[in-house]
Amino acid sequence: MFPLSAIIRACVVLRIHPNILTVTGVFINVLAAWALGLGAFVWGGVIMIAANIFDFIDGKVARELKWESEFGGFWDSVMDRFSDISLFIGLIYLYAEKGRTDYVIVTALAMMFSVMTSYTRARAESIITKCKVGFMERPERIVLFMIGAFTNRMAAVMWVLLVLSIVTVADRIYHTWRELNHSPKIEERLEHRLAEIRLAATPAKGRTTL
Amino acid sequence: MKRVLTLPALVLWRAFFWTYERGTWQYDLWVIAILAFVWLTPPAWLSDPMATGPGLVGWLRTLVQ
Repeated sequence: MFPLSAIIRACVVLRIHPNILTVTGVFINVLAAWALGLGAFVWGGVIMIAANIFDFIDGKVARELKWESEFGGFWDSVMDRFSDISLFIGLIYLYAEKGRTDYVIVTALAMMFSVMTSYTRARAESIITKCKVGFMERPERIVLFMIGAFTNRMAAVMWVLLVLSIVTVADRIYHTWRELNHSPKIEERLEHRLAEIRLAATPAKGRTTL
Repeated sequence: MKRVLTLPALVLWRAFFWTYERGTWQYDLWVIAILAFVWLTPPAWLSDPMATGPGLVGWLRTLVQ
């Protein structure tokens, strides 16, 4: 994409450190949170797009400059959490200001489970090889935030984030438990059961005996 | 009867115990369901403190009436 590649090129020429780009993204997200806190959703959405450009280019600039590092990956993940939490805090402030304690709770719970989504995967992958299960990951979360902001449907977005983040955390806990206990998959058991039922429903003369 | 119960259980399990990649048809189906909920649910049903207007469903209802 032309504008993005031009920005990446400029950052490479200016030799801007990718970690600086990452932290710049966080500061811009704090501005987006401020806009959300003021109820200026469209502005919040626009600023979120700007912040996510930084989030998108930091890894690419690191690769171009051959400055990739393990610390860079760690820094990126930690800064992502700050960005996510800032957006939720902006909304919590807004709903508190409006005296809507119900949505303060919904948003706070959505924030808690969004953080737990990342934590469960990070912690799981320290004891098992991979824990990439569950629908509601960061890209989905950010896109949903933007949809909520641009179309002024943030309450519905908060409900979706809350429910699907709870499901994602549960998925990750279950997946880790299953991997550690070498337990057979539920879907395999259900498929096996279905196959048994199909076989039982087949007329006896149609079956082949080997 | 058992078959009737097992197939929906499998579909529900696969929908909620999510292991699909982005870009699969299952993913697209979830995205459509989420967008439908966000855009079609009338804000009044959720007591949305910020949304204005009746939403797409409310607008269609007034159009029909």
